[in-house]
Amino acid sequence: MQKITDSPIDFAEHIIEDVKNSKEEGVLKCVQCGMCTSTCPAAQHSDYNPRDIIERVLDGDISILEDDSIWNCFYCYTCHSVCPVGNSVCEVNQILKQFAIENEMGYDKLYEYMGFADSYFTAAIGAIPEIFFKDIKRDVPGWWEFRLHLDEIRDELDLDPPLMPSKEVIDEVSKILTITGFKDKIEKIRATQG
Amino acid sequence: MKDDLKVGVFLCECGGNISDTIDLEKVKESLDVEFIGQFVNLCSLNGRKLIRDAIFDHGLDRIVIAACSPISHEKTFQDYIKPLNPYLMDMANIREQCSWVHSDKDRATHKAITLINASIEKIKQSDAVDPIYCQTPKEVAVIGGGIAGMNAALSLAKQGTKVTLIEQSPSIGGQMAKIGKVFSPVKIAEECGMCLLNPILNELVWNENIEVLTNTKVIEAERRGGTYNLILEKSPRYVDVEKCIGCGKCAEVCEIEVPDDWNDNLSMRKAIYRPFGQSYPEAYVIDMDNCSKCGDCFRQCNMKAIRLKSKSERIPLQVGSIIVATGHQLFDMDKRPEYGYNRYDDVITQSELGRITGVNGPTKGKLLKANGEVPKRVVMIQCVGSRDEKPDGHRYCSKICCTVALKNANIIKHKYPDTDVLICYTDIRTPGMFEKYYKHTQENEVRFLRGRPGEVVKKGDNFIVRTEDTIKGEFVEIEADMVVLSTAMEPSQGTKEIAEILNVGTTEDGFIKESHPKIKPVATDVQGIFVCGTAHDPKDITDSIMQGIAAASKVSEYNYGGVEIEPFIAEIDREKCILCGECVKRCNYKSMNIQDDEVYINPMSCNGCGKCLIGCNQRAITINGNIDEKITSTIKGVLSKKREGQRMILVFLDNIGYTAADNIGVNRLSYPDSIHIIKVISVNRVRPRHIQYALENGADGLFIGEFPGDLMYGEVERKIQNVKDRIAELGENPERITFSKVYIPYYSGLARKFIEFDKKIAELDEAK
Repeated sequence: MQKITDSPIDFAEHIIEDVKNSKEEGVLKCVQCGMCTSTCPAAQHSDYNPRDIIERVLDGDISILEDDSIWNCFYCYTCHSVCPVGNSVCEVNQILKQFAIENEMGYDKLYEYMGFADSYFTAAIGAIPEIFFKDIKRDVPGWWEFRLHLDEIRDELDLDPPLMPSKEVIDEVSKILTITGFKDKIEKIRATQG
Repeated sequence: MKDDLKVGVFLCECGGNISDTIDLEKVKESLDVEFIGQFVNLCSLNGRKLIRDAIFDHGLDRIVIAACSPISHEKTFQDYIKPLNPYLMDMANIREQCSWVHSDKDRATHKAITLINASIEKIKQSDAVDPIYCQTPKEVAVIGGGIAGMNAALSLAKQGTKVTLIEQSPSIGGQMAKIGKVFSPVKIAEECGMCLLNPILNELVWNENIEVLTNTKVIEAERRGGTYNLILEKSPRYVDVEKCIGCGKCAEVCEIEVPDDWNDNLSMRKAIYRPFGQSYPEAYVIDMDNCSKCGDCFRQCNMKAIRLKSKSERIPLQVGSIIVATGHQLFDMDKRPEYGYNRYDDVITQSELGRITGVNGPTKGKLLKANGEVPKRVVMIQCVGSRDEKPDGHRYCSKICCTVALKNANIIKHKYPDTDVLICYTDIRTPGMFEKYYKHTQENEVRFLRGRPGEVVKKGDNFIVRTEDTIKGEFVEIEADMVVLSTAMEPSQGTKEIAEILNVGTTEDGFIKESHPKIKPVATDVQGIFVCGTAHDPKDITDSIMQGIAAASKVSEYNYGGVEIEPFIAEIDREKCILCGECVKRCNYKSMNIQDDEVYINPMSCNGCGKCLIGCNQRAITINGNIDEKITSTIKGVLSKKREGQRMILVFLDNIGYTAADNIGVNRLSYPDSIHIIKVISVNRVRPRHIQYALENGADGLFIGEFPGDLMYGEVERKIQNVKDRIAELGENPERITFSKVYIPYYSGLARKFIEFDKKIAELDEAK
């Protein structure tokens, strides 16, 4: 039961104020037409439903932060571009995920991305984490062979070896990531996964 | 000389509304005039006698009425001071702007004295001027020959008015002629649209007061006084309407075939053709863009009606008023490629479905797909281009698409009960009695799915409509073999063109704007021009007819009564004018033009803002009625009553701002008694020298308010900034001047602004 003192709209207001929300009052203008869901690739292959996300946000249903389905949005921005009232569910999702993390939820989801974090420290670049290799190998024919023989292909094309950051650069990036608290966060996430 | 004028002041007690707060005895003592009268209720007929007797007995030249707001009673008292000229009277507003906003008796009384003194000083500067009466020609042009324009024309013609009905296509009838069936909310049945339209069309054709011009467009319009001079261009029909008997032999021999736009390009027609069976005039027409000039039709015509060498013709037309009924067009489906309209034959619009199901359409009323089969499932998609904030979409609801979809769904169900019809909607909008028709449609086994589809794709022989069933919260793919798109209504090309030619305002969506959306639904921003039908906004046939008749009625009022105009408008000294055209260029209200080697000022649109004065190097322009001097004298009148240590702020407001200020009093809010409001015709009339004069003679602050909807708003804002800069150069504090937006309903905000400004000025005074 909704009590007279409840203020469900606060949750939506909180999201609207977030710097990541570029569509101003779009969230409040949602009429639940469902066009976002009708074009969402994630919705077609999982139980993620962008319209439902906004409905729950407008209901003030904070339990959505614990919902696994918000992690199925991969920011393709289709919902953002088709929404007839100028809302962006994928931006709302980014904000929701951020809230979840701030509330120490969804660390298991983040754990899969740790490989990205590691490559910042060891090479000062973003690289595809090895954890994804198996899937890409299955989904993208020829990709694995290409990756294995990249040096030979570059040689053949008369290209220099890839330019990698120097040791000073790597040290500097590591330092920045440490001072800004990124490293602490990584360790915290790692710790929760034992 | 003007100092010798005999001024009479009349104080109204307003049944205690004024006298309870203001000490009228004190007021009387402090004024130096020829005569002072007082009455409990000055606006009553007894008050009228008092005023009139005093004028005769004391030989009064000028009158000040200290009572309520001129907004409520200026006309009354202009009448009560007869035989004096109506403009030799001024009202001091000691009720709305004094007794109702101030509670301190001494301060309110002193302010009343100040306000009355200002009126006395002002009225001494007034000259007798005559109101301008404009009687306009009674002839009317109705632009657009659809159902709205036809009804407007017919209504006027039956009242004895001469009407010219101007239609750019070869036949009158408009969109209604092609929609096939129509339906009514109460009668649960679809009726033949053409059968309803035809009697109106016939009646119109036979009415002697109406001249119908088809193939004709308005290409120029110019206004002088209450008269519009239009130039029409009549394109050739290449067939003599008088001689053609509509036998159709010409079309039989014509070898050229082109898509028939009247059938939404679903069938073919010849280069010589009749737009549709009941078109008027009942004559053929040649589409010269596609004609090969082979001469077959010419040789075939027994009536010798073909005129291949006709030229277009320019026709001048003079009218007193204009009704714009230029209609709508449908959303361009190129803008929504995701629905596949241009890729697949069986993705069609509701308009095309109307043609297909129409007995005079391409399939003679049979619902068939492009391959000739009856569809098994028709899916309709609502809100295509409407309620859509994406680029190229329309934010508004097109209002009729829900009911049109219901109608077409019912027509399909009546003829083909086995065909499944599914309507994908966001909200079904069937206001008022149309809800009955919605229920009827549900009973008729039409299905409804709540969800807005994002895409239509081809799968094998059929389509897949991808959507979410938002009630179940499930993503669904619906198989269909025909998809019907309910497209938005948007202003027609003709509507956009005529808005520009006639210089009438449009909404941000491009429809013709009414002068007030609530209480003036058919008047436009321009006096004498009215709007009806879908040129105004999306609406159905009934509403179009009602609005057409309403527009006709407004034209009649206008023709009957003429228009009275306040005389405080610009005037040109023709001796001095060198026709440089600078004033014409400057006028924001477009009320000036050069005609026959003279600058002509339209009294109906000039608002006396005086912008033209500044640009005239010849000093050939004046504003009637001594406006400049009146403002100076009013300022003088206020400031001369300044008491030691009293703070005085002058507030300049035009009619709109003044009404907002009145509303503060009407709602019994308050503001500081330092605020003294001066009503001006246009705030642009407040010149830098007025501001400087006020500051030099004791004004502590100046507040200039303007309604942002006024055409002069931007200019006044810039001007005030310049004045502030100049004041700063002269060593005065520019902070003493402020410019502010005012809105009539936002009176509480205006009261707050007065309070804040007073506080700011108090701080400046203290710092000094």
